[in-house]
Amino acid sequence: MRCPVCHIDMMVVEYEKIELDHCLKCHGTWFDASELELLLATMGADRAGPALTLTPMTSTVEKGRRCPICRKKMDKATIGDEGKVLIDTCPRGDGLWIDGGELVHIVTELAKKSDGKLDATGIIAFLGSAFAAEGEDSEKS
Amino acid sequence: MIALWVVLGIVVVLLLIFVALYNGLVGMRNQCRNAWAQIDVQLKRRHDLIPNLVETVKGYMQHERQTLEAVTKARNIAQAASGSSVGERAKLEGELSSALARLMVVVERYPDLKANQNFLALQEELTSTENKISFSRQFFNDSVLKYNNKTQMFPSNAVAGMFNFKAEEFFEVKVAAEREAPKVSFT
Amino acid sequence: MWEQIRSNQVKSIILVVLMGVVLLALGYSLGLLFLGSPTAGLVIALVVWAIMNLIAYFQGDSILLSISGARKIGPDDHPRLYNVVEEMKIASGLEKMPDVYIIDDPALNAFATGRDANHASVAITSGLLQKLNRDELQGVIGHEMAHIKNRDVLLMSMLAVLLGTIVILAWYASRILLFSGAARGGSRRSSGGGGGGGQLIILAVAIVLMILAPIFAQLIYFAVSRRREYLADASSALYNRYPEGLASALEKLASSDTRVKAANQATAPMYTVNPLQKKGMAATSLTATHPPVAERIRILRAMGGASYRDYERAYAQMKQKHIVPPTALVGAAPVPLRAASPEEAVTEKVEHARDTSDLMWRLSNYRTIDCPCGARLRLPPNVKQITVSSIKCPHCGRVHAV
Repeated sequence: MRCPVCHIDMMVVEYEKIELDHCLKCHGTWFDASELELLLATMGADRAGPALTLTPMTSTVEKGRRCPICRKKMDKATIGDEGKVLIDTCPRGDGLWIDGGELVHIVTELAKKSDGKLDATGIIAFLGSAFAAEGEDSEKS
Repeated sequence: MIALWVVLGIVVVLLLIFVALYNGLVGMRNQCRNAWAQIDVQLKRRHDLIPNLVETVKGYMQHERQTLEAVTKARNIAQAASGSSVGERAKLEGELSSALARLMVVVERYPDLKANQNFLALQEELTSTENKISFSRQFFNDSVLKYNNKTQMFPSNAVAGMFNFKAEEFFEVKVAAEREAPKVSFT
Repeated sequence: MWEQIRSNQVKSIILVVLMGVVLLALGYSLGLLFLGSPTAGLVIALVVWAIMNLIAYFQGDSILLSISGARKIGPDDHPRLYNVVEEMKIASGLEKMPDVYIIDDPALNAFATGRDANHASVAITSGLLQKLNRDELQGVIGHEMAHIKNRDVLLMSMLAVLLGTIVILAWYASRILLFSGAARGGSRRSSGGGGGGGQLIILAVAIVLMILAPIFAQLIYFAVSRRREYLADASSALYNRYPEGLASALEKLASSDTRVKAANQATAPMYTVNPLQKKGMAATSLTATHPPVAERIRILRAMGGASYRDYERAYAQMKQKHIVPPTALVGAAPVPLRAASPEEAVTEKVEHARDTSDLMWRLSNYRTIDCPCGARLRLPPNVKQITVSSIKCPHCGRVHAV
């Protein structure tokens, strides 16, 4: 999988049997739809349950990204109760892209507050746990 | 003169039909034999898998000694009967299938075992071998049905009688836990 | 089952001949129109057809497989997939085990290639392999093996070549007509035909053929293709004694719209020969000619048993038409359905997904680092270009040498 920002091959991180693509340069992360489905299944979601609740954001200064799978322009949305995490979503549903900065934000701020619930908070908790060391890195620098 | 040619023509046509019927019977009988050989291969494979399975499972399921012994016993009996008739083998292999099915039900109670990579690989092999036995049996029985039809239906039954093509036995396995679509009755 | 192949053969030969006649008619009239010699037209048509055949023959299977990024696997690479293919080989009565390929693609697709049963291959994308449970995988592989058993690949590629030739000839002819007005400049050639009136009739016939031949050929092609898809569905249900497996797999396919990425940039003859196939993959792919997937699912689910007669009944109920050749229904015994396999636990589902992706990473030469904290890092082959010295584990922070 190629990073939508740096256009280089990404590293694959397998954490608790879920695979995520992580860019070694910008630390952005691609969460493939099928992996997201697996994660939701392990967290106890039934098939008919709601997927991630996203709030679309149309006005943002952040640069647009192209989905690494279908190359279509991705939409911006926020996830989480407080709408603090800005992500890119593929219009075809191929997956989610989380910028390096957003990932650090998740790790340092939000992960501490989540409780493994079966919604965006649960996903955020997972990401926060998987990339726990990313936060330290930025804090140091 | 013409009458002679016509008779000759008819004789030739009849001969060709005869040959076609005969070859058809031979072909079908050979298909049955090949199909049986395929079943034999899969049954053997199952026999070979079981000791390894029992070894892997023994450590985790110490209280299930009876179930495990039943499997080993059924396997040994079935293996010993490799030269017997189709019907006899069907009976013994069916008993082995039942014993294995009971074992697999018990395995469900041991989550540690189900997380063991070795066991998972063996389980896949066993599932696949059971499926292959089932499919090769299916194909064999279908072939036998077609062949038996040919030996009994007109006109091939005439040829069959002449050259002693006999109907073959079906490989019917009666397994207690065999999968059958549940019969729903609205009474 | 051999009866089905036999009657299909007669009908198929008729259709191939029909397409051939259309091609020859087109060649004849174009030759008459542009060159004043119908024989020359026929010769050109046959030459183009021969060239297309050669291209398709030499490049067919291997190019299709390599363009799609397919990798051949053995029994130890992916035991489950290989076993399922072997199971379907036994159930269908194929004599030789086909080659098995996995395509590194998140899209959900599978296809079979091979001119004859002894040189056949089955391919499936990693995306589909990860998503299906064992029953569904059996259904899909059974469907593809049926294409091999029923000799659909050979038929479809012959028809595709014919169709492609017709389309190309008609296309070039229309260009020539539009840009050189050759039809009016009949005086340049010594046309054997009558005066202006004769030339006009020839022109009219040629134009009609130029427009109708591709349409007609396309109709034949898609009708044959659709029929073969339904019959492959019926065969898969019969092999497995379980139509629900394939139905459930098709349902998963329908709900995901991911297209095969290679299809967009493909230049394989299978595409250029039939430019109308730009969306689908090989003619035998699961959704090649779009008989609507919803319909196929409904027919499969309406089956009361697993025999061809049950499929025929379900199909007739839905479409008021016949589909299974009558010789396949003769002397057929009733075939009961089998029950579903026990459902996979979530942990097993995840485990199977990991088995497939582990294999794909290994085949793509990704290096694996198992960090002691439990995370697993896979580095792309060109990792040295990105970070020369070391990698930090994103979970625990440990540094690993590259």
